[in-house]
Amino acid sequence: MESVSDSDSVRLEVSACLRCLSSSDSSRNITVLQTLLSYLDEASHGAAQRAQFSRSHYSRTLRVLITTIEADWVHRLTARQREELWDALFLRGPPEQALLVLLEAIGELSPSTSLDHVVTITEKFLQDGRLTNLLWSYCVGSAQSDSPQLRETLLGRLSALPDIMANKLHHNISPLFLPQQYYPLLASAMLTALQRTCQALRDNINCSLAFVSQTLGKLCLQGHGGLVLAAMAPRLSACTRSDMVWQRVCWKLFESIPQRSMECVLTALVLAVSGPESLGRIVGNLVLRNKKAEFVITHKLLLLQYKYETGVLRTVLGYLAADRDRRPLLIQVLRCICQAWANPSAVKHTPMEQQLYVSKALLLSVSLLKDQELQDLRSELLQCLLGGMQSHLDSSVLRIRCVGMVVGECLSSRMDNADTKLKFEYEQDEETRELLSLMTPSGWCEPEPVDGSESLQETKELAPNTCSVASQRRQTTPPLAPTDPDSDLDSDDELTPYDMTEDQEVSQTSPPRYLRDCLESLMSSEDAMRVELSLKAADPLVRRNAFAAREISVQMSKVLLHMEDKYNIQGFLILRHAAMVALAVTDCIPVTQYLTTEFYSLNYSLRQRLDMLEVLVAAAQELSLPTTDKKNSSIISALDVAELPPFQGHDPVHWRQVVEKRIQSKTRRISKGASQPATAKATPNRYAPVAGYFFFPLLKNYDKPEVTFDLLGSDHLVLGRLIHSLGLFMHLAVNAPVAAQMGSALLDFVWTVRYHTDQMVRRGVLFAVCSVFLSMPSQNLLLDLGDMLFETRTWLTDVAEGDPDADCRSLAVQSLVLLDKSLKKQLKDPQSPSLES
Amino acid sequence: MSHPPPSPIYTLRGAGGPLNSLHFRCYGEDAPLLFSGSGKGCIHIWNLNTRRTNKVIEGHSGSSIIWVCTKRSKDTLISQGRDMQICLWDLGEGRCDLLDSVWTGSVGFCQCSMLETSPISSLLAFAGQQTEEIKIIELPSKIQICTLMPVAKVGMVMCINLFQPDSCPGPLLLAGYEEGSLLLWDVTQQSILSQVKAHPDPVMCLTFDPTRLRGISGSSEKNLSSWKLDEKNNLQLQGGVTLANPGVSQLCIREDGKLLASAGWDSRVRVFGWKKLRPLAVLQYHTDMVLSVAFSDHQDPRQRLMAAGSKDQRISLWSLYNES
Repeated sequence: MESVSDSDSVRLEVSACLRCLSSSDSSRNITVLQTLLSYLDEASHGAAQRAQFSRSHYSRTLRVLITTIEADWVHRLTARQREELWDALFLRGPPEQALLVLLEAIGELSPSTSLDHVVTITEKFLQDGRLTNLLWSYCVGSAQSDSPQLRETLLGRLSALPDIMANKLHHNISPLFLPQQYYPLLASAMLTALQRTCQALRDNINCSLAFVSQTLGKLCLQGHGGLVLAAMAPRLSACTRSDMVWQRVCWKLFESIPQRSMECVLTALVLAVSGPESLGRIVGNLVLRNKKAEFVITHKLLLLQYKYETGVLRTVLGYLAADRDRRPLLIQVLRCICQAWANPSAVKHTPMEQQLYVSKALLLSVSLLKDQELQDLRSELLQCLLGGMQSHLDSSVLRIRCVGMVVGECLSSRMDNADTKLKFEYEQDEETRELLSLMTPSGWCEPEPVDGSESLQETKELAPNTCSVASQRRQTTPPLAPTDPDSDLDSDDELTPYDMTEDQEVSQTSPPRYLRDCLESLMSSEDAMRVELSLKAADPLVRRNAFAAREISVQMSKVLLHMEDKYNIQGFLILRHAAMVALAVTDCIPVTQYLTTEFYSLNYSLRQRLDMLEVLVAAAQELSLPTTDKKNSSIISALDVAELPPFQGHDPVHWRQVVEKRIQSKTRRISKGASQPATAKATPNRYAPVAGYFFFPLLKNYDKPEVTFDLLGSDHLVLGRLIHSLGLFMHLAVNAPVAAQMGSALLDFVWTVRYHTDQMVRRGVLFAVCSVFLSMPSQNLLLDLGDMLFETRTWLTDVAEGDPDADCRSLAVQSLVLLDKSLKKQLKDPQSPSLES
Repeated sequence: MSHPPPSPIYTLRGAGGPLNSLHFRCYGEDAPLLFSGSGKGCIHIWNLNTRRTNKVIEGHSGSSIIWVCTKRSKDTLISQGRDMQICLWDLGEGRCDLLDSVWTGSVGFCQCSMLETSPISSLLAFAGQQTEEIKIIELPSKIQICTLMPVAKVGMVMCINLFQPDSCPGPLLLAGYEEGSLLLWDVTQQSILSQVKAHPDPVMCLTFDPTRLRGISGSSEKNLSSWKLDEKNNLQLQGGVTLANPGVSQLCIREDGKLLASAGWDSRVRVFGWKKLRPLAVLQYHTDMVLSVAFSDHQDPRQRLMAAGSKDQRISLWSLYNES
C-alpha cells in the first residue's frame, strides 16, 4: 500500500515540476530542476522513489526539458547553473534513456544554438564514460526499462551514432563522433564492462553479457568490426593469457553473439588477432558449440572467400590445430581443401587468386598435421595429389602449373620421408617462394605480447615492445660479407683486368661458306661440331644469298623443322628458329605454303606445330617492319635475331606483351588524331601483299580431327596459340587491302570457340577480336560484319562482366572500347562510303 | 664494366717465317732493338724506333732458329738453330761476324739457357746428343762443366732454365721433360734435388722467377702449373690456371714480377697477374699459333713493351699495365 502511495507521490511531484517547467518563471524553475535532480541523488530520496523516477518519469522529464530548450528562462540560466542543473539531469540519470532522448532531440532539432547545446551534452555524455555505465547497467540487469524493442532501438542508435551525428552536423562534427574515435571508445567501454564483469564474477555476483554481445554483433554487422576489434583484440589476448575468469568471460561473450552477426564478428576477430594462440584463447572451442561459427571458420574463410592474407589462413588453421577437441575439424577441413584443390573443374573455372589461396591453405594444413595423422590420411592425400597434379599440369596457364608443381613437391616431401619425392623444375619467384615457406613452421611464431598484465596502459606499450624485439632480431643477424681471408696488400688487384668474355674455345672445323654445304651438313653430318656451326651459319647465309636460298628454301625448312637437338647444342631452339624465320622471310610464299599445310598434317608433335606457328609469326612481324634499304634490313634483322630472349616458346606472355604494347600505342595514336612521325620515309610494306598466304591456309581444316591432332579437343594449347597467331597476322595486316576479308573470316572462325573452357584459348580469342577491331577499316566493320557485330558486342559485355580470368576481362573491355571507337568514327564521318551504299 | 682488350700498338711484318724466339735489348744509349729468330733460319734485328729491320743474319744454313739471346756485357748475340749449332755473333760497331759456334748434337726443340756468372764468363746449358742429356759449358772458353743425365725414365728434355739462387753456392737448373716431370738439378753436385710431376703431357715451356722462387710451366693441355721452391730446394706444386684452349708455347714473366704472359696455340696471348695468377687480359690479334712472347728490358717502366711472335709471320707489340 505504501509503495503505491509512494509511486503516486513521485508521479504527482514530477508532474507538478514538469508543468512548472513549461511556464517561464526562471527562479522557480531552478528549484524545480533541483528537485528533479534530487531524484537522481542517493541522499535525498528512498531507493524505491528513485527507482520509480528512473523507470517511469526520467525519459518524460528529459523530453520536457528538450521542448523547453528554447524557452527564455533557460537562456537566463548562468553557465554554471545550466551545467549543474540542466546538463546534469542528462548525465546522471539512467544512461540508456538519456542517450535515446539526446539522439532523438538531435534528430528533431534544426541547426541552432539549442542543437549545439544538445550536441555538447552528448559529447560530454561520451567523454564521461556514460557508455560504460550503459553497458554495465545491462550486464548487472539494473537497466530500468528493458523490452526487446527498446533494446533493438538502443543497439541501433549505439552502433549508428557517428552516422546520425554526421547526417545532422555535416562538416561541423566534433572529432569525437568520427568513427575512428567513437568506435575505439565504444570498444574500450565494452572492455571496461567486461573487466567489471570479471570482478563481479570473482565476487560471486551474476552478470549477463547478452547486451555487450549484441552490441558487438550489431557493430560488426554494420561493418565497424575492424575498428572495434582492432581495439579489443590485443587487450583480450593479453588478458586471457593467464586469467581463467577473463577467458570464461570472453568465451561467453562470443558464444552469446546473435547468430546472424556471428560471421561478421568472427571474420573481424580473425583479422584482428595476432595469431592462432590468441584466437584460441579468446573464443575457446566456439567452433564446436556453434554451427554457424563452425561453418564460418571451417568453410567460408577457407573455401568460399579468398581475399585474405596468408596470416589469416595461418590463424584459422593454427586455431583448429591447437586443441585436441578441434583437431578432428582440422582433418575434416583438410579433406575439403584437398577436394577443392584437386577438383579439375575448379582448376579451370575458378580465378587464379582463389586457387592460390586454396593451395596455401592446403600446404598450411598439411604442415600442421602430426605424423600419425599423416599416416591415417596418406591414401587420401595421395589421391588428392595425383588428381590435383594432373589437373594442374594440364592447365595451359603457367602460373597454375607452377603452383601445382610446388604444392606437389611439398606434399610429396611431407608424405614420404626418404626417396620417392617429386621434384620439378620451375622458376623460383616470389609466389613459389612464399608457397614453399609455408611448409616450414619456423616462419610461424609472430611476436606476441608476453606480458599478461591487465591494465590498458600496458597493452598499449606492447606495440613498441614487439617492434624493438624485431629490431633486435634484425641486429643479431650475422653481418654479411666477411672480410676476405687472403686479402693482402701484395696482390694483383692494382691491375684491372680487361674484358675477357671473348676468350672462348676455338673450334677446329670452320663454318660452312655455301648454303648448300650448310644444308648438306644439317641433313647428313654426324659431326656435332659441323652441325652446330652449320646451324649457326644458316641464318646469315640465307639472308646473304637470297637467290640460292630460294632454290632450296622448302627443302631446308623441312630439314630444320624435323631437326632434333641430338648434340645438345647451346641455343639450339633459338638458332633453328632464326634460320627458319630467315627462310620464311627470304622466300615467303613457298615456305609459308609449306608450313601452313604441314601444320594440319599427320605425325607432328605439338612442339613442332607450335614451332611452325612461331616461325610464321616471327616472319610476319619481320616482313611488316619498314626497311629503309637492303643493307640496313639485314643488319636490323640480324640484330633482332641476336636479341631474342632465351626462348620465346616457353613464354608466350612475352610476345603477347609486346603486341599488347603495340596495341596500346596504336590506341593512343587514334585518340590523338593520327599524328605521323614526320621523319618516317615511305617504304612498301612487304607483308601486305603476302598476308593472305600466312592467314587463310591456317583457317582450313581446323575442325578435322586427325589421329594425332585434335585441335578442338585435347590439344587446346595449340588452338590457343593458333588463334593468337591468327590475331597477330590480322594485326600486322593493318592497312592491307586484304584486311577486311581477313577480319570477317577471323571473327567467323573464333565464334565457335568463344566460350572455350581453357582460358588461354579464350585469351587468344579476345586478342584476335581486338586485333580485328584494330586492323579492319572502320567502314568495313559495319558493312561486312553487320549483325555479327552486335552479337559480338553482347558476348564481349558478358565476358567483361563474368569471366573468371582477369586477363580475359580486361581484354574484353579493351575490345569493347576499340569497337566503340571504330564505330563512332565511322558514324561521325560524313564522307564515309558505307553509309551511302 | 671492364674495358675491351687493347690492340697492339704496332706490328712488325716481313720476318718471312714463323717466329720461334724473341729477345729485346732496350737498355743503354743505343736504339732499342728486338731480335727475332724465324723458322726460315733468319735472325732479324728490328729497330724499335724506326720499326724496321736493321739487319738480317742468316747463319744457320736455312735451319729454323729456335733461340736468340744477347749477352749483357758485350754486343754478343747467341743463336741456336735446328742445325745443331749454337752460334755467337759479334754485333759491335755494325759488324755481324760469327765469333764462335758450338755443336750440340740435339735434334729436339729445347731452347738453351744462359746464366752470366761474371762480366766476361757465362754458363750455357743446352740439350745434348742423347735425348735426356743436358750439357753445361762455360763461355767463352767452351769448357764442358757437366752433363746431367736423369736415371729415371723421364723422356726427352723439353725446356731448361739455369739460375743462381741466393741460398746455394752453385747454380741450379730446372728442366722439364717429355713425360711431364720437372727436375731440379744441382749443377755443381750433378745431382737431382727435387722432382715433381707437373703435367700429364710433355712440359712445353717453363719460366722461373728467382727473386720469389716461384715458377710456372705450360704443356700441350689446358692447364698451366705453378710451383714453388722451398728452403730445402724442394719443388712444390701450387695449383695453376686453366686456359680456355689447350697448348702453350712460351711463358714469360716481366722483370718487375707483376705480369706473366703466355703464348697460346689458340693464337691468343694471355696476360696474368704474376702474384696470384689472376687473368688480366686475353689479346687476340694473331691468326695462327703464338710461338714466342717476351717483355722488354726498358729502363723507363713506361716504355716497356711486350712482343708476341706468331706462326702467322708477324710480331705484335703491346703496351700493357705501364702506368705505375
